[in-house]
Parts: sequence; structure tokens; C-alpha cells
Amino acid sequence: MLIIQNLTKIYENGFVALKNINLEIPDGQFVSIIGLSGSGKSTLLRCINRLIDPTAGRILWNGMDITAVSDDELRQIRRRIGMIFQQFNLVKRSSVMTNVLAGRLGYLNPLYSLVNYFPKSEQDRALAALERVGIAEKAYIRASSLSGGQQQRVGIARTLMQEPEMILADEPVASLDPATSHSVMKYLQLLNKEDGLTVLCSLHFLSLARAYADRVIALKDGVLEFDGLPGEIDNDRFKQIYGEDAVEVEIS
Amino acid sequence: MTQTTDPSPSRRALNRLFFVLAAAVVLVIFAYGWTVTDIDFTVTQQPQRQENVTNALQELLSPNVFTQDYTIQNTTTSFLVTCTDDFSAPATQPNTSAPYIAVEPACGDSSDLVTVRGYNFPPNALARINWIATDGERRIRQVVGVEADNFVTKPDGTFSVQIEVPRIRGTSGETHTIEAQGRFPNGAPHFSETTGVVMERMIETIFLALIATTISILPSAILSFLAAHNLMRSVRIPLGNLLVGFTLLPVGYFFGATLLGALGSFVLNLSSGGIAAPAAGMIVVFGAVASTSRLGSAPQIAPRTPLRSIAMTLVVSVAGVIVIAFVAGLALAIDRLGGDGIVGDITRFIGSLGEIIQLVLVPLCGIVGAVAAASIGGMLTTPLLRQISVSVSHILGAVLGVLGGAILLGMVASIGMSAAWMGLLVPAVVASLSSPLLPQLYSQFTGVGLHPTGSQRVVLTALSWIGGAIGFSATFVLMDVSRAMVEGVLPGREVIVSFAGVEVYAYVAKAMLIGAVVAGIMGGLQGTRANFGIGGVLYSITRTLLNALRSIEPLIMGLVFVIWVGIGPFAGVLALTLHSIASLGKLYSEQIETIDSGPIEALQSTGANRLQTIVYAVVPQIIPSYIAFTMYRWDINVRMSTIIGFVGGGGIGFLLQQQINLLRYRDAGVAVLAIAIVVSILDYASAAIRERYV
Repeated sequence: MLIIQNLTKIYENGFVALKNINLEIPDGQFVSIIGLSGSGKSTLLRCINRLIDPTAGRILWNGMDITAVSDDELRQIRRRIGMIFQQFNLVKRSSVMTNVLAGRLGYLNPLYSLVNYFPKSEQDRALAALERVGIAEKAYIRASSLSGGQQQRVGIARTLMQEPEMILADEPVASLDPATSHSVMKYLQLLNKEDGLTVLCSLHFLSLARAYADRVIALKDGVLEFDGLPGEIDNDRFKQIYGEDAVEVEIS
Repeated sequence: MTQTTDPSPSRRALNRLFFVLAAAVVLVIFAYGWTVTDIDFTVTQQPQRQENVTNALQELLSPNVFTQDYTIQNTTTSFLVTCTDDFSAPATQPNTSAPYIAVEPACGDSSDLVTVRGYNFPPNALARINWIATDGERRIRQVVGVEADNFVTKPDGTFSVQIEVPRIRGTSGETHTIEAQGRFPNGAPHFSETTGVVMERMIETIFLALIATTISILPSAILSFLAAHNLMRSVRIPLGNLLVGFTLLPVGYFFGATLLGALGSFVLNLSSGGIAAPAAGMIVVFGAVASTSRLGSAPQIAPRTPLRSIAMTLVVSVAGVIVIAFVAGLALAIDRLGGDGIVGDITRFIGSLGEIIQLVLVPLCGIVGAVAAASIGGMLTTPLLRQISVSVSHILGAVLGVLGGAILLGMVASIGMSAAWMGLLVPAVVASLSSPLLPQLYSQFTGVGLHPTGSQRVVLTALSWIGGAIGFSATFVLMDVSRAMVEGVLPGREVIVSFAGVEVYAYVAKAMLIGAVVAGIMGGLQGTRANFGIGGVLYSITRTLLNALRSIEPLIMGLVFVIWVGIGPFAGVLALTLHSIASLGKLYSEQIETIDSGPIEALQSTGANRLQTIVYAVVPQIIPSYIAFTMYRWDINVRMSTIIGFVGGGGIGFLLQQQINLLRYRDAGVAVLAIAIVVSILDYASAAIRERYV
């Protein structure tokens, strides 16, 4: 259970990214976060694993207050929360294998991992993760030589190495073409359905949210504008979230 | 946004005026520069100077790279002074391969002109004619029409020259000898001695540059991380932890230097003693390594307990000291093996590495102890510091601030005593401590939050400048820095306290008192919970240091190092190394600042620690440009090392300077040629390698 209480984030330049957000997300839910660019979607996701420190409010996860833990405890928590990024955030010059193994660093003895030593068991785990996202044969080539969709799958494999209980996906398909988008979303859906992971996924396209999410949260200027089932978003709600001039675009 | 339109006429007139003014300013600057730099083209037209430069250039462009050995062969014929009726010329032996000469006529009186012909001499070679009378003395006869002792043979190896019979009293009727000396090449042309010396120096130069570059890689790589804005900006720790750690530094240093130092020296002596001792040491080392790895290898599902972390820190420090001392001792043992040639070079090299470690072992142990003490202190007090109430945190902040400020200023003042102008460090550090004071007070009494408005920000900035200025000038006056700066005298060394062999000078004590007061107030106001941007402080210090070092040319550094270690390549290596560290540190850190921050974010989100994040997200991104910049620096260092010899730093520059001072421009030409060849090869090579990696 993830509970967000009165979450507010004000950046150092005074920009108010999140205003008093309150949410409760039960385990195993696929939640899609929608909203315009700059509405606070990325900030909300990054506050949850504290890549960004919130200004006020609390985030409780499995009974722990993420906003109040020490650095050591935070790393323990982060190990259990996977994150997927719009720009994939792979080290492009490293091999796919190294990128995937890097997801396991939080579990490994720092002394060994600093000299690039990974036990056999971890290498097998990495290959299994790559197998799961269907690119095991690309394990030993450079990440930069993969296509965008393949890179995002490496990102998912890296997350799998963390044995996460929750996945935060920040616009995971915004840099991909429609067909690849669906493939990546299907992998997220698989993790949600088969492994029972909680997925929080910010999306640009409402159609993707409708297709994959159990629940849709809409942010507008840092304020929670809508929280409900995907089917409840009609034309009025849509205009309310995206503005009067917006027209819904389908992604096929 | 308004549409861009044509500027109004008045605006255009203003622009034109501005342009004219700018042109006038440029003209003035340029004219002044012309005068200051003494540009005078009439000098270049003076005949004497033109001749000098032509000669010098001629010789420089005629480097004596090659040389030819010669043997002088003498060929003779006889000559009767004063002809007699029955004289007949001696028969010559034509058609032989050996050189021979004939004179015509073969008799004559003083001042007669006679023709000497020579055959089978080397073509276009130097030759001369000697006259040998009965006294056996050689008299050089200058050939008619040549103003020198020597003349040149014809391309077919013959010559035909006229000489005058010398006037020697009382020689009438004697038979004299005419001798032709020809210079015959001996063997093929080969490299000259100068070339050999130049090559030797050139190799020294290349290695001087290579060693300076390689030594500088590691320090500058480490510094580059500290000087990278994007990595350091986010590093913040609670003020309480910082102060506890900082206060424990001297304590840790003391215990580290004494206890760990003793252990290290013991291990070093043991391992340098012989073969049995290293073997025993090896077991100890492996035991230590094994125990540390067992402590750390278990998957850490639960947070580490403080006790475990402390044990880990202690074991790592002790094991680290043992390993380093052991390796150093082994190196010293290898040095004693000796050897000839390249083996001897290797053992000496390893031995001198061991010596370096031996020299710095005790301070190194002190630093290890200091770091260990600071981190253990941090681990023990972090939970406590997080639980204490707000008022206690402010009181504790004040107490720790007093201690920390005293220690900091004590260290700074000890450095400040070394030279008159170094005394400026004390007020500078106090200024940086006191600059947040007024903004802090202002925000507390006016209630400015974490996010000040624009005008509030201006006020806060102004206040921090004012606070800094007050801190600086007050300390400047109190420490009497002005007297030291004007008169160049160092602060007095009156001892006021002395305990356990440590003497505290009045000057240092005064600085400590100032530091304690300022930092105590700051610590009290901020409280132990305030976040301190330690990363930003380290970044500023490193950047300032690198920029200051970079602004001093290696030639100037070379001058100082020559005083320290004497004339020779070692001084050059030290100068180039120091400058390379500063330059590469800056170049490397700029590379870190341009990397993609995405992977860093990604690794942080997986729960990797800071070091792991750097190794896996930063290092792979910067390696290509590090290689490229290192090559570039080697290139620069080879250029620099060719002239570092001008100040006594060894290498080819030293030779070049000597040759120029002795006006031996043909030899200097060889050195210049060698520099040109090596620099252009390296230029090409480094460009080729850089292209591959960037």
C-alpha cells in the first residue's frame, strides 16, 4: 500500500510543481498518471523514490515513511522500487549485460561491484531478465546499437534485477513509435498481472491509459484533477484536464 | 512577444554612434599595444642585422646531422731551384689509379710561377699545395687566384693550379719537394656526434613528457570528480554530522599516525626483511581480505547495524594499511635484489615506489585514521542527531561549531604562517564562514522562507557579501595581516600553550579563537539538522586550486623545482606533472559536466550507492574523452619539455640553450630539427588517436 499525504513540492526557483496531493494506491494496481507537460507527473513519480526531495507531506510505503528515512534506509527502499524512464537512461557505451547487472548494485557488496565483478548467480539472473523481455541474444552488444524499443526493454530488465514490488514508469513510451509503445506497455502489463507488481505509469496518450490502466490519475498544474476509472473520462473531463482547445488523439 | 520592426531613426543613429566609439576604442588599444611592444620595422632593414640573421638562419638550416670521415693523402714531386742546363724533368707515372702530381716546369727561380697538375684526386674535394725545402719545413703555397690555403679539385678529380716558387735564401741548386695534400673520404657518410647527443636528449625529453603525463592521470582524475559541478552540487550532509566528523579528524589523525603508523612500519620492516617474512605477511593479508569480504558479501536485506559498519570500517582501515605497508616492504626487498641493465632499471623503479610509500606511510596512516574516525563518529551520532529536539540541536550546533571552527582555523593559520601573503588565507576562510551569518539572521527575524522572492534574494545576497566583508576585514585587522604583507615578515612564533609535545603559537591560538566564535555562532543559528552543501564547498576549493595552479606556467614551476631538486629532468618532470594535474583536472571535470545525467538518475533509483553510481553511470561515459585529453596533454607536454630545459629542467631544451649560447647554430639546427620531427609525429599521432575516441 502506497499512501501519499499532503505532498507538496516547490522547486528552488519558486515553481510549485505539486500542491497538496493525497493518494492511496493499493498493492497490485496499474495506475496511469496523465496530464499536460509540466503538470507535475514526473515530479510526483520522483518524489516517491526521492530522486526529488519533497518540500512537505509524507509518503508511506508498507508502513515506512519514505520522506523521513536515512540515506541507508532509503537505498534499501529504492531497491524495491523499479523505475523506467522516457529516455531509457541506459549507459550507451556499456554492454546490455552491464546495464542490466547495474540494476542489482544495491544488493551487491560494493567492494566487488566496484571492480566489475558479478557472481555467476547474478549473471544468470540478468540473462533470465533479458530472456523475459525477449532480447537475451543482445546481451553482449553495446546498448547504443539497440533500437528505442529494445533499449526500453533493457530498462525493464534492469528494473527486474531489483526484484521490485513497485514500478514507477516516467513516460516509458513517449520516445517510441505506436507499435513499439504497445509492446513496451504489454511488458509492463505482464509484470503487473503475473508478478503482481504495483505500476505507476505516466502517459501522454489517454488511449494508452484506457487500454492498460486499472485507474487513472490526472494532474493539472500540480493539483489532483481527477482520480477514477479510465472509462469515466468523457469529453468534458478530458477538456477539464487538457484544456479547452485539446482534441483527443488515438494511438493505434 | 512584439513583432520585430525596423529600429527607429534615433535608435539607428545611436547604434552608429556606438559603432564609431567602439572603433575608436579599438584603435586606441591597438596603437598603445603597438608602442608597448616596441614594433620597429627599421631595425629589420639594418644591413648588419640582416647579415647576422642570414648567417644564423643559414647555419640553423644546415644542421650537421651527417658527417664524413676523411684521410689526408700526400703526393709529392721534386723541384730543382734554379734550372741547370743538364736538368731533365723527372718522369711522371700516368694512367695509374693512385693520385699523382706533376709540376711544370720542374725547375725555376724564386717568384717564378709554376703549374702543378694533379690526377686521380677525389672530385670536388679540398686539396692544398705545400712546399718542402731541405729543412723539412712545410710551407703552404696559396694557389694563384684563390684567397685561401685550400682549393677545390675539378669534377673529374684532376686539378691544375699555379703557384709561386717561394723565396728562400740560399737554396739555389737544391732539390725541393712539392707536396699535394688531398682530402679523401673514408667510408660512407654517417650520423654526426651532435646527432647522437641530440637523440639521447630527445629520448629523455619524450620520456620526461610521458612520465609527467602518466603520473598526472590518477590525481587529476580524482580531482576532476571533485571539480565537477553536476556531481558535487547535490552532495549535502546534515551540519551536525559534518561537524562531528570534522571535530574527530585531528583525533583520528593522531591515533592513525601513532597506532596504524606503528603497525604499518612493523609490517613494512617485516616484508622488506626477507622471503620468509613476506610469506607470513601474505597470509595475514589474505586473512584480512577474506574477513573483510565475508563481512560485506552477505546480501544486505536488512539495514546495516552501526556496530557492523564500525567493525567493517576498522577492519578495512587496518587491512588497507597492512596491504600498503606490505607492498611497500616487498618493493624495498625487490630493490635490494639489484641487477644489471633493464632488470636493474626495473628493480630500482619498484624500489623507489616503495621508498615513496615508506616516506608517506605515517601521514597516510594518519589520514586513514582521520577518515575512519570521522565516519565512525558519523555512524554513531547520526541516529542521536536525528532524535534530539530543536533547541538541543541548536545548542549542540553551537558547541560543535566552536570545536570545528577552532580546528579549521588552527589548520588554516598553520598554513598561513608559512609566508606573509599566505596570511590572507585566515581572513578569507573567516569571510566564507561569516558570510551566511547576516542572511541567516535576516531570514529568522523577517520570516523569509525557503523560497525567497526576487527582491528578498537581492537582500540576502547583499547581506552575505556584507557579512563576508566584515568577517574578512575584522580578521585582517585582528591578525595584523597588513604588516606581514607590507614588510614581508612572518607572524611571530611565541608559544603560549604546550602539551604532549604540541606547541600552540599565539598567532594560531588567536585564529582558533576567531574561528571558534564565528563558527560557534553559525552552528548555533543553523542547528545540527541544517543541510550543509559540503559538495559545493569542495567543488569551489578544488576549482580555485586548479585554476590557480593552471595559471602558473610550467617554466615558472620549473624554476622553483630546479631550486628544490637541482638542474635535470627530475625538476622538469615535477613541473610538468603539477601543471598537467591542474590542466587535466579542469579538462576532465568539464567532460564530467557534459555527461548524460539519465544513467546517474537510473542507478540512484536502483539503490546503488554513490560510488557505484559513479563507477557504472559516470565512468563509462567519460573514458573516451579522458583518453583523448590525456593524449592531447602528452602532446602538449612533449612541446613543453622541449623548452623546459631552458630553465634547467632537463631534456633537449638544455642542450639547445647551450648550443645557442655557444653560437653553434649548426648543432642547434639539429636539435630544432629533432624537435620539429618529434612534435609533428606526436601531433599527428595524438590527433589520430583522439579522432578514434571522440
